[in-house]
Amino acid sequence: MSAVATTTPSPILTAPPAPPRRPRVLTVAAAFGGVASGLVVLTMLGVYLQVRGERLADGVPALPEDVTLPLTPGNMGLVTLAMSVVTVAWLCYSLRNEDRTHAYLALGVSLLLGVAFINATAYLYQQLSMPFTMTGTSGLIYAVTGAHLVMTFVGLVFLAVMGFHALGGQLTGRDAESMSAAALYWYVTVAVYLPVWYGIYVTK
Amino acid sequence: MTVTEDAPAAVSAASEPPASTPASTGLAAILGSGDHKVVGRLWIVASLFHLLLAGAAALAVAAEKIDLSGADVLEDWLGPLYAYRSIAAAFLFLLPLTIGLATAIVPLQVGASTLAFPRAATAAAWTYLLGGGLLVGSVLIEGGPYGTDVEGVRLFVVSFALVLVAQAVAWVCIATTVLSLRVPGMTMRRVPLFAWSSLVAATVWLITLPVLAAITVLAYLDIRYGGAGGFFGGGEQTLYTRISWVFGTPSVYAFAIPALGVIGSVVPVFARTRHQRHRLAQGLIAAFGALSVGVWTVTGYGSDPYPWLYEGPWVVVSFAVLIPLLGLIGLWVATLVQGRLELSSPLVFGLAAVLMLLVGLLAGAVQAIEPIETLVDEGATPLFSTSWSAAIAGYVGLAAMIALLGGVVYWAPKLVGRTFDEAPAKVLAVVLLAGTVLWAFPELVAGLLGQPALPLVGVTENDAAIEGLNVATLVGGVVLALGVAGLVALFAVAARRDELPGDDPWSGHTLEWATSSPPPYGNFASLPEVTSEAPLYDARHRSEEGSA
Repeated sequence: MSAVATTTPSPILTAPPAPPRRPRVLTVAAAFGGVASGLVVLTMLGVYLQVRGERLADGVPALPEDVTLPLTPGNMGLVTLAMSVVTVAWLCYSLRNEDRTHAYLALGVSLLLGVAFINATAYLYQQLSMPFTMTGTSGLIYAVTGAHLVMTFVGLVFLAVMGFHALGGQLTGRDAESMSAAALYWYVTVAVYLPVWYGIYVTK
Repeated sequence: MTVTEDAPAAVSAASEPPASTPASTGLAAILGSGDHKVVGRLWIVASLFHLLLAGAAALAVAAEKIDLSGADVLEDWLGPLYAYRSIAAAFLFLLPLTIGLATAIVPLQVGASTLAFPRAATAAAWTYLLGGGLLVGSVLIEGGPYGTDVEGVRLFVVSFALVLVAQAVAWVCIATTVLSLRVPGMTMRRVPLFAWSSLVAATVWLITLPVLAAITVLAYLDIRYGGAGGFFGGGEQTLYTRISWVFGTPSVYAFAIPALGVIGSVVPVFARTRHQRHRLAQGLIAAFGALSVGVWTVTGYGSDPYPWLYEGPWVVVSFAVLIPLLGLIGLWVATLVQGRLELSSPLVFGLAAVLMLLVGLLAGAVQAIEPIETLVDEGATPLFSTSWSAAIAGYVGLAAMIALLGGVVYWAPKLVGRTFDEAPAKVLAVVLLAGTVLWAFPELVAGLLGQPALPLVGVTENDAAIEGLNVATLVGGVVLALGVAGLVALFAVAARRDELPGDDPWSGHTLEWATSSPPPYGNFASLPEVTSEAPLYDARHRSEEGSA
């Protein structure tokens, strides 16, 4: 008994309590930020559709006559983002279950898919060779897709930063809120791409 | 909302003061502070500075409108100054004042030790200062809407976008604080009305500001790359028209959402009783906010600029928005009747504000009745295009201003550690009320007589009568200026006084009164148990019952 009484307490037991967690702070902010960013893109899309509709009603083609808007890169972008939704969900699931190997793999694939989407859009711009002018709809097409590209880039950076936190061991299964916030922003980014894809690439 | 309905489990910690206090003092304390009270004060002071500039522009435009034969004095400046006074009054004064008050008070009301993302909030404040300064500069070099200097117009658009981004970030911080940093026991249903109204306003503005920002970015691209052939049809000349929907109904009502929270916070305190049906009041404020979302009234880019005008949704919203306000007025009357009325200065501000807001909303409803026509051109000009619409914005905006200034008077002990002199503050509230009536009512009548919303555009009939009404408007502007100047002077007098107001000079009901005046860094040493929307009222009554 005496041995028990004189045992030095473990440093872990005597350490001060961990600083408190801020519940869902980042997730709530990411939700607001995602919706706000999405509204910027959707507003531009709405303006594009209205201007395009007016031109078509006046018998003026929506795009310059020598420009063809290919559907394939847009479709590839959609498929790429759809796959990234699965990989980001995989990432969050792995992190919650402390499966770091899968988490690293999922993070790598998610970032790769995000970069692939940006690459697909850049390739589309190259294929289009459409001049940037605001006298028709071409400038609006660049504005809408460019704004979504910015949103995608922000989402990627957010995912990457949280990913590095995870790599550094700062995010554990019980404290993965930051990654959930990044994932939420990414899901909104992907959701916003759906109307962009339909409004610009499908309806042309 | 469901995910945040329960009180956050770990919020108790969020209410504990941070371990260290800021060491810096003076200017360094302001420049580098993440303390929400300092940041809030920064917003408020800067907004009052912009009120000075916007007020001067408004008075200049009002003076020019006395003689409708042409822009004699301002000449080419009339258009830019008119656009500037509207944009500055809304986005450089009114919204920043709201954000400042919310930044300083909301964390205290919900029992948090800090604002969520204090560094982001600080960055937002400085971005607003930078954007606001650049915006004023752009107008001075003849940029801005209707400006003649193309570079200045571009600078205006960029600086306006900066201001919008800053305000969006600030609203995210405020909304997140209410949703995530509440003290244990403070469920969403127990959130005080000012914090609640700030959450509603944040949500509405986070829907509205991005739309405005997107249009601003497109305007920049159009001015930069489109010129006269652009889809805006000549950038700088149509810029104001593209963003003016935010000053029309129903968007303009969004400026008044936090005002409802200020009034809702003040009324029960000076009735010395609980707010009647607090949850219903929350619902009514939320309904008012939902109805004031006006992004669907964005000006059209086709042949019909107002495709929604006199259509069903616009008419319905114009009338429906009266219901929550009338409901709230009913609750406030019931609260005042139930308790013991004490006519203190914040309450006088609140009553003046609610009266002006009601008139503004009634005028908005009348505007939506298509058969009510102007007395000129056989009704070809809709009321919406006349100064009737500008008068609605005036009533609502000035009502919000009066309520928020009342909020500054009410929360002055928490903002600066001083109280305003009661009697002069009451007089100034009445002066502001009189100024609002004098400013906005003649514009209503002038609208009926055909005065367009934009100054000196196509007025051909009733010139003499309209000029007389415009004189009254100018007098109203001068009275408002005197009222605001008086309030600033009163504040200066209060700031010089050595006498401290005490922690709870009003016998308040909510948590901000549970700490010292002004609150320390970290806000609270301890907090009472929160079992209702009025924890301090509960605690006071429990102790009174105990002593009896």
